[in-house]
Amino acid sequence: MGILMILFTFLGGITLSAQSAINGTFSRKAGTIETTLLTFLTGTMFLAIIILFLGNGNVLAILEVPKWQLSAVFLGVLFLLFIIAAVPKIGVIATNITVIIGQLVIGIVIDNFGWFNSLVIHLDMKRSFALLFMIIALYFIYKGNKRAREEIAA
Amino acid sequence: MRYISYILALLGGAALSFEGAIYGELGKTIGKLETSFYNFFVGSIILGLLWLFFGKGKLSYAVKAPKWTLLGGVLGVVYLTSIVISVPFVGVGITMVAVIIGQLVMSMVIEHYGWLGSKRSRINKEKILAVISMIIALVLVY
Repeated sequence: MGILMILFTFLGGITLSAQSAINGTFSRKAGTIETTLLTFLTGTMFLAIIILFLGNGNVLAILEVPKWQLSAVFLGVLFLLFIIAAVPKIGVIATNITVIIGQLVIGIVIDNFGWFNSLVIHLDMKRSFALLFMIIALYFIYKGNKRAREEIAA
Repeated sequence: MRYISYILALLGGAALSFEGAIYGELGKTIGKLETSFYNFFVGSIILGLLWLFFGKGKLSYAVKAPKWTLLGGVLGVVYLTSIVISVPFVGVGITMVAVIIGQLVMSMVIEHYGWLGSKRSRINKEKILAVISMIIALVLVY
């Protein structure tokens, strides 16, 4: 069961890459804001159906939760806008690696301070090395991209 | 100018982490699928406004574009659902590692072959080293 789930999530990661590639292509003709709007609209429609059949939470409780919990939607919007703007310029893999690094760094910071009621996990040796490897990855992807472009230009 | 795109992508990732932490809390009250629905629904409204005031592109292109270029929204939902389902079974750490590795490997393949309309860009030594460094970093974090 565990292995099956891991494979399933692996597929989830694959769909995410496909999404950034497809959105990048669409945005070249339709524009960044337009592509993001379309992604959100179609996503809403599919989720509405999914919730109707599988939802067992309570959407209406939205009116009772603290407002800061609702503010995350602005972050979700920014994320997609930024991605769709970056993919046509620097490509799918550079965008994805850079996003993941931003995500992990902030994840480590949130854990360290225990913000938003998260579990407190302090920045230790292991995590410091992880940060170092992310910087190395960022350097390599920048280099690799530059070289791939030069080869195409040549 | 290319630096700006890297900075945007970094900020995008940072936003995603904050979003995840905050939605984790919201999900406890209203449910996980409901949280995604809230995100997409209110996000559509915000973008609808942004589009009305600042949209310079052509939304009507959606009607005549090849249908596969319209799949972005569904794929986002597939991704989200796969995470929601697998976290209770294998935990957040393994889930994130699996997702990210899937994402990295697939990005490299997509670009290498120029699939899905992406600009073709060959896999090279540096890119493979970048992915290996990311995998090491991931293992160290979790």
